[in-house]
Amino acid sequence: MVTATTPIPAEISRANEYDVRIRWDDGHESIYLARDLRLGCRCAHCISETTRDELLDPRSVPADVHPLSISQVGRYAIHIQWSDGHSTGIYTFKRLRELDPT
Amino acid sequence: MSRLDRTHSPVTEPTILKALEEVRDPDLARDIVSLGFIKEVRVEGGNVSFTIELTTPACPVRDKMQEEARQIVAALPGVQSVEVTMTSRVRSTPGETKAQLLPGVKNVLPVASGKGGVGKSTVSANLALALSKTGARVGLMDADVYGPSIPMIMGVQEQPRQGANNRILPVEQYGVKIISMGFFVREDQAVIWRGPMLHKMIDQFLGGVEWGELDYLVIDLPPGTGDIQLSLCQKIPLTGAVVVSTPQDVALRVAKKAILMFEQLNIPILGVIENMSHFVCGTCGTREEIFGYGGARRAAESLGLPFLGEIPLVTAIRATADDGRPIVVSDPETLSAGAFQKVAENLAAQISIRNMAGEVEPAIKISF
Repeated sequence: MVTATTPIPAEISRANEYDVRIRWDDGHESIYLARDLRLGCRCAHCISETTRDELLDPRSVPADVHPLSISQVGRYAIHIQWSDGHSTGIYTFKRLRELDPT
Repeated sequence: MSRLDRTHSPVTEPTILKALEEVRDPDLARDIVSLGFIKEVRVEGGNVSFTIELTTPACPVRDKMQEEARQIVAALPGVQSVEVTMTSRVRSTPGETKAQLLPGVKNVLPVASGKGGVGKSTVSANLALALSKTGARVGLMDADVYGPSIPMIMGVQEQPRQGANNRILPVEQYGVKIISMGFFVREDQAVIWRGPMLHKMIDQFLGGVEWGELDYLVIDLPPGTGDIQLSLCQKIPLTGAVVVSTPQDVALRVAKKAILMFEQLNIPILGVIENMSHFVCGTCGTREEIFGYGGARRAAESLGLPFLGEIPLVTAIRATADDGRPIVVSDPETLSAGAFQKVAENLAAQISIRNMAGEVEPAIKISF
């Protein structure tokens, strides 16, 4: 069952001025570079809902983009308010684990 | 042991607690001492009194546990009398967003079905009443905007009033606090809304209503896996969902989709209820399995979910709901009302299991 096997974050904090650190309930720790996380957004503005094509032009995302705030969405995801004004993305725990660079 | 020993080694609190470690909570599968249930231990000579604080007033083994604890302590050397008081404190689902939106509400329980017409609203109303009858503080939110039927089932005539800070005061009926879209639209009007409006309504019903202190908030969802379900799952960490289905294969197939939706959103499923389980003929007493037998139980088992119980297909359940006096309040002695009471107890046990696990494993800490 999904609920039993998907790890969930225990703590979400700053890795530095820009980047995000997640400590997971299975003990794993991930550090996400802010810009990579922004480019990994799967919302309907960034990825086409019908063709799954990438709509987001990486050149339009500033190099110093960073989260202004992070909040929890229900029990399955987080929402990030970005410094470039983008705020429609929901990052599921499953997706965050897939994006894990470490 | 000699008489002298008795007078020189009086019974102490540690000895009592040690002895009580024998008593286990069958649902939480742990002894009642390490669960922190034992409160206010008093020893005066050979007279012992203590309190057992359960995780729900709807505990099915309440009396058995009380007697077991009493006997174990009574058997200790030096004990002359034992008084066991039973109380309860419902544990809360952890989560910061819930603390802001619904500060006094401990558990939020959406009642869902895949298909419509499986009796979800009747089950929700009777379930809320059955939980309330055990002494719990209960609210009932009718989130079925398109066909709100809770006001009729609960026999509510009055309108909710406005409280301080423009907040809505729920209507209280049979001891349950109720809010419904049915209070805000006329009988002869239809609600034709798109997603953003539905999202806003959920916001209003959660944060804009003066729910006060509640142990359980039961939410009657519209059928399906749409906007309302998603908004609700995003808004607050729900305790877990209850899925209602008839035993019929077609209903179960759709119920599985609802279960999958909750799983994708990481909402635990507290259990499955089989409604319209079987029909008992009023004149000859013959049992008929109109929609097949035991389908929901088998489906729950195959998905590894708790099965909460069966509700029979009985005219009185339908008739009392149509009259605005659900069977749990109008005919509490009937088998049908008993079936709802049993389901409520099983549900409360599942909630306790979830929340006790949550106390060990706290909510996500975000510092960003």
